Amino acid sequence: MQLYPLKIVTVVGESVIMEDIAERGVELGATGYTMSEVIGHGSRSARNVGSTAGGAKTLKVEFVVPTDVATTILDEISHEYFEHYAIIAWLSDVSVMRGEQYTRKSGG
Amino acid sequence: MTLLPFAVAVSVAFAVPLLGEASADQVSRILVSLQKNLLTPIPLCFLLGIICTRIHGGIKIPKELYYSIAIFLLMSIGFIGGHELAHEYQAHGVATIWKPALATLFLGCVTPITSFVVLRYIGGMSIADSAGIAAHYGSTSAVTYAVANSFVEQAGHPANSFLPTLVTLLECPGIAIALVIGAALSAKERAARAAESGRKVKESKLGEALYEVMTGQSIMLMAGLLVIGFVSTLYMDPKGFQPFYDFFQSKGMLFRGALCIFLLEMGLVAGEKLGDLLKVGPFLVAFGILIPLIHGFLGVYLGHMAGLNLGGCAVLGAIVSSASYIAAPPAVRLTLPEANPTYSITAALAITFPFNIAFGIPIYFEMAKFVGAQ
Repeated sequence: MQLYPLKIVTVVGESVIMEDIAERGVELGATGYTMSEVIGHGSRSARNVGSTAGGAKTLKVEFVVPTDVATTILDEISHEYFEHYAIIAWLSDVSVMRGEQYTRKSGG
Repeated sequence: MTLLPFAVAVSVAFAVPLLGEASADQVSRILVSLQKNLLTPIPLCFLLGIICTRIHGGIKIPKELYYSIAIFLLMSIGFIGGHELAHEYQAHGVATIWKPALATLFLGCVTPITSFVVLRYIGGMSIADSAGIAAHYGSTSAVTYAVANSFVEQAGHPANSFLPTLVTLLECPGIAIALVIGAALSAKERAARAAESGRKVKESKLGEALYEVMTGQSIMLMAGLLVIGFVSTLYMDPKGFQPFYDFFQSKGMLFRGALCIFLLEMGLVAGEKLGDLLKVGPFLVAFGILIPLIHGFLGVYLGHMAGLNLGGCAVLGAIVSSASYIAAPPAVRLTLPEANPTYSITAALAITFPFNIAFGIPIYFEMAKFVGAQ
């Protein structure tokens, strides 16, 4: 079994911006993403207005990408969203099967 | 904060001509009206929700049920509104509707501006915070409409049939105007900050936010069902139409029961936000009570001028005074991210909404009687 070393960028934040972030990640070179609803609390949770009654929604989006794409995505997110939104992001190492699926062939 | 006495003085000056002419009899009528309203299941369910949260009680409304009920309420308001609008249209054409519609659009444009001016120049709040809160108060709350409508029906003075059309008209312009003011006035600050950090100016998400408001669930369901109710009333056999009417009708047990569950959830959320009252300060608390009264009076008065009946004036007053807490928050978050949502959500949900449910609606009803609506 062959495993490929790649990075996983995980972003957790208020629902109002998470679709934008997922789309931006794809524009910056990710070949796809996984999004899920999560529950949690943090220092800026009060900023989350998701859907006021029925509970504010917090979403998590994950991109499996090569290192250069991962840093571009993190750089972009920190510039665009960190200042005003309830959001956290981190980078982890992963070993994935069928690694070629996570790399764009023609730099697009 | 130091300008709070000034804000109160302005509001009192506004209210004095009203109160000056009010007799002891009218005051006691308001008190009876308040008592009648407070001791009904809808505000009591809201109160139960607040109490439950404050004492860490165990009531929990599943999210899916909350969303399902919101969908049902919005569909009902739209469908029955469309049905009644069709009857009105058959009887009078557009003769009775165009003036209230125009008055509503005018109110939708005025309320965000008055809110912004009071917040910015009397309250001394930042441009983004002022515009963010103004967007909430310029728009409307469909649930406040539903509760006000139930109140006037119970009082034996049902509102004009086309009020749901006015709710839909009121939803958008207020948010749009406040966001445009906020985006335009804060553009300079943003450009300066971008120059400082050496990055390009972040593009405004105003267009995207307004598109999301226009195509959001509230407008799509209410306006969509309004058209469906209108068309099917005109073209469908009344016998075939009846089951749909029975399912959606606002006087029916389904609607009223659903409204109780919805208000229970609103109470649970408002209970959580009550803790934020200390954070927002006395100015915003006063704003959350006085601005609805001023806007409510404007709504009642212009509604009367436009020919609405007693119930119609009271309901228009209630919807004009109410603040949006479903459509406005995400739109403000996208367009004015520097605005602190704690201010707007607390004002809309923990101050104005409970005030209107408990006291505002009966007050607007009495205001409508006072201006001579029948």
